[in-house]
Amino acid sequence: MSDNLLRRLWRTKQGRIGAIVLGLAALLCLFGPNLAPQNPEAIDFLGRFRPPGAQNWLGADQLGRDVLSRLMTGARSTIPLALLATLLGTLAGAVIGTLSAYLGGRWDEAIMRSIDAVMAVPGLLLALLLVSSLGKGSLNAALAIAIAFTPGMARVTRSVALSVRAQDYVKAAIARGERGSFIVLREMLPNVIGPVVVETTIRVAFAVMLFATLSFLGLGAQPPASEWGLMVAEARRFVHQAPWIILAPAIAIGITAIGFNLLGDGLRDALNPRDER
Amino acid sequence: MPAFSRRLLLAGTAGALTLPIGKQPLAAPRRGGTLRMSVDQAASVIHPLRTRVNPEYLVSELLYSNLTRLKADMTAEPDLALSWRANAELTEWTFVLREGVVFHDGSPFTSADVAATFKAILDPKVGSPGRTNVGPIADVLTPDTRTVVFKLSAPYADLPVAVAYTNARIIPAAIASGNLDRLAREAIGTGPFKLVSYEPDRRIVVARNERYYDPARPNLDRIEIMVFPDPTSEASALISGDTDLMMNAAQGEFPRLSSASGVTGLRTPSGQFLNVNMGCDVAPFNDVRVRRALALTIDRAAMAGFVAQGFGTPGNDSALNAAYHFYQDQPLKKLDIAQAKRLLAEAGHPNGLDVTMIASDTPSTRSQLAVAIREMAKPAGFRITVQTMPHATYLDQVWKKGNFYVGFYNMQATADAIFSLLYTSNAAWNETRWNNTAFDKLVGEARVTTDEARRRELYGKAQVLMNEEVPSVIPCFFDLLAARRNYVQGYALHPRGAVFRLDEAWLDEGAPKRG
Amino acid sequence: MPARWLIRRLLLVSYTVLVVSLLVFGITQVLPADAAVALLGENATPEALAAIRLRLGLNDPAWLQYLHWLGAALGGDFGTSMRTGQSVAPMMLVALSRSLLLAGFALVLMLCIAVPLGIWAALRQGKAADMVSGMISYVGVSLPEFVTATLLVICFADRLQWLPATGYIPPGEDFAGSMIRLVLPVVTVSLMMIAHVARMVRSEMIDVLHTDYIRAARLKGLSGQRVLLRHALPNALLPVITIVALDVGYLLGGIIVVEEIFAIPGIGRQLIIAINTRDLPAIQAGAMIMALTYAVANTIADMAYAALDRRIRYE
Repeated sequence: MSDNLLRRLWRTKQGRIGAIVLGLAALLCLFGPNLAPQNPEAIDFLGRFRPPGAQNWLGADQLGRDVLSRLMTGARSTIPLALLATLLGTLAGAVIGTLSAYLGGRWDEAIMRSIDAVMAVPGLLLALLLVSSLGKGSLNAALAIAIAFTPGMARVTRSVALSVRAQDYVKAAIARGERGSFIVLREMLPNVIGPVVVETTIRVAFAVMLFATLSFLGLGAQPPASEWGLMVAEARRFVHQAPWIILAPAIAIGITAIGFNLLGDGLRDALNPRDER
Repeated sequence: MPAFSRRLLLAGTAGALTLPIGKQPLAAPRRGGTLRMSVDQAASVIHPLRTRVNPEYLVSELLYSNLTRLKADMTAEPDLALSWRANAELTEWTFVLREGVVFHDGSPFTSADVAATFKAILDPKVGSPGRTNVGPIADVLTPDTRTVVFKLSAPYADLPVAVAYTNARIIPAAIASGNLDRLAREAIGTGPFKLVSYEPDRRIVVARNERYYDPARPNLDRIEIMVFPDPTSEASALISGDTDLMMNAAQGEFPRLSSASGVTGLRTPSGQFLNVNMGCDVAPFNDVRVRRALALTIDRAAMAGFVAQGFGTPGNDSALNAAYHFYQDQPLKKLDIAQAKRLLAEAGHPNGLDVTMIASDTPSTRSQLAVAIREMAKPAGFRITVQTMPHATYLDQVWKKGNFYVGFYNMQATADAIFSLLYTSNAAWNETRWNNTAFDKLVGEARVTTDEARRRELYGKAQVLMNEEVPSVIPCFFDLLAARRNYVQGYALHPRGAVFRLDEAWLDEGAPKRG
Repeated sequence: MPARWLIRRLLLVSYTVLVVSLLVFGITQVLPADAAVALLGENATPEALAAIRLRLGLNDPAWLQYLHWLGAALGGDFGTSMRTGQSVAPMMLVALSRSLLLAGFALVLMLCIAVPLGIWAALRQGKAADMVSGMISYVGVSLPEFVTATLLVICFADRLQWLPATGYIPPGEDFAGSMIRLVLPVVTVSLMMIAHVARMVRSEMIDVLHTDYIRAARLKGLSGQRVLLRHALPNALLPVITIVALDVGYLLGGIIVVEEIFAIPGIGRQLIIAINTRDLPAIQAGAMIMALTYAVANTIADMAYAALDRRIRYE
């Protein structure tokens, strides 16, 4: 992406806010564990359910652990995995979508109809089934989300790729007699990337939420990890006693998802500088 | 009570421990009305021989009867059997049955039904969980229609209590020896209620059995059992008056329930516990010093707070607590990290020990315990990785096979029941492979002893042995919690956790009219 | 509508069903632990496990189980639940009817709010109203259902005590009680769709308002309202049909979580129970019904689209 694009992104309001939010999130991922005021795993019998205050700025949870420290440490086990899941799904989807568009004809038809069929299974259900089979754990959840995302991304990529395929430089490459893999990887994929990046960014927001939902349903991260979805799931039992335990990670999930949504919208506007939107 | 009344009378020990938080007025029970009770888990199985979890026990208790019933003090009282007696060797038990009892389909209840039921329970192919819990029954004889004789393969003092087991509900002989699967969807019992409708994941409705053997019971016309998968919403439903009674309240919800207007919290100490099972036959836990070291790292009073939210009592690595008749008090183990480190070093782990502890995700207290132990044991050099998994996977891959995992068990009716379920060498679920011959001998001797003082001595020694050798760490016992609307009367929590006695419950003034 | 088009759609739906059945069956084959273990729980003895596996046909090779299942399913028999012993198809259809009630209300609520909100934001583009609705949609699409549900329950059921927290009553039994219990679940499910669809409506509306066609109409001196209602709105709403149909996928996914939290015995909860107890026939039937619902919703949307937009020709 060129400097020009970044400058345009920064000029959109959504892009700016999104970039700031995600910049902070990135800082948390990098330095959160070092900056955390307390040990996120240390239990404290007397501190159980301590409300937010001087000792624990965001309160303490059912084991007396500092919620703020857990939140800061947890960014690292939440956001990168959501990113990883989305990137894997995007990569797989982009390859399938571009391939389908390149092959065209009956192959395209067969691939896309199968993709449509798989999309008929709600993403959450597919992820649930996959994690149940793979065994619970963060990486498996990420893998399941990646697989659940693949068909959608394949669809998006294909429609973009179809328009690219009609372009002259691809036709020229085909006329030159280049190998199929060369055309797909070198000529088509790079030009498909722009719109796909937008879709990917918005999907990361989804991945963050889906990840949290899987953890909420007991299929995500392993305790005592401070993954945000798991924090919400564990805190749910104490929601009336100590709402701050659930509010902090829930809001963190929301803000992160908003950040990715804003950045995605900003990117879209920056990529198609269309009228005064 | 006839015959064996001389033993096992707690005379108020467990009774006094039952602390209903509100006072129960001593008014005469009212008749009629519909009670709506919520449960926290689906009752997927209503086949009385195959039930496995508390909501299922609740349903089968309403629809069926046992020979005896378990009282709150863990002694037996008559149900379908009016009286019982044993021979001097405790190898042959004779039960005299109630007359004039009929099944829901109108057929009369006789000794043949009892014999056929027990034969079905003992048949491994039937897959009844009760098979190993109803006592060492070798044969069931029926000298006449009103008499049943149990021939045992070994002397057994606790048979009257054992036949009160949750799976030993009496079913018609024609079904027991015929199409057994019929009871998966319908109910033909002699219980105080009849099945009206059965929707496993939503609602089970039962209505008064007009031909129940005791004309005074049940008090209620109808009971609706509502399934709530989420403890928070279950509590909210009781607070809003949607439901009248909860079978079980989550610890996190209990304070909110107790303080809600129109609601009374119910609480009773129980022998229900969480434990950490260690494979005593393989390294590193085959070294008793490692097990003792782990036991020394645990702050037990704190654990009762962490895991039971204060609604529990510290455990001492013995499977019995004060809710059991033969409980023997021992000084609570103290936290001693230095000693734990020393023991670990002596056992050959001077630099600490890496182990993976597995916890199933149901109930969620299992992983809570695992996380708390992980932190408590850290200073002594235990580096524990916690791994949680869905319950079905746990049962398939870890339970009884693993070497370091969290177990969770209901209170059993007797000391013998819990010991020979989990800790003797021939235990049905010998998870720890402790295989301690001294312990086996103590439990075996107590089983065939009738003298109360001698039994107490034997069981006392068995508890000391568990405390010293630590086949599993038992850091805390749970109180049972529940809640009722104030107008629900005649209901008390049973420490066993699997006995409900809704036939005695009734609705006082102020109860909503429900169709 | 041309018969060829319909036949093609039907074939596509059948293909979808086949692919989904293979996919789901494949996944269930690698699920750790089987129904026999889940069923017997901690009381499993080897004999009982063997007896149950024999009864449930779990010893057959996977492909044979699949063919048995497929054959029976084509005849309308989805097997009996390994957990309860009840027939799966009626169980799932009853559950589906409850889910559809929830989904239907959620769709209606969503359209009633999302469309006016989107139009309003488009007309007030760049002004405070647009900002507010934009912020609402960002929050809406960024909160997972379980968070929304928890917040709503804390607020309206526990603190304010306006609405019951959960539970389900069939409308036939107590209509008012049934409806009032559906309020929070419906709001939860529709929130994310409201946010999503409102944004789409806004963006489509802005596009349409900038077309030469609308500009020309305005230049001709037609009144603002007339242009809006007669020309801009129909053109802007047309693509929304497709969006809504695609959102049915999210709707069905959201229903899984919402039913679990609000204790609604619909198809989503049945599926979670089925997955946890390894109840293969129930997983299969539930997933098939969900996929079928999605496919049918999309077919209906395509038909509606085609009927509304004469410019689209049938293939």
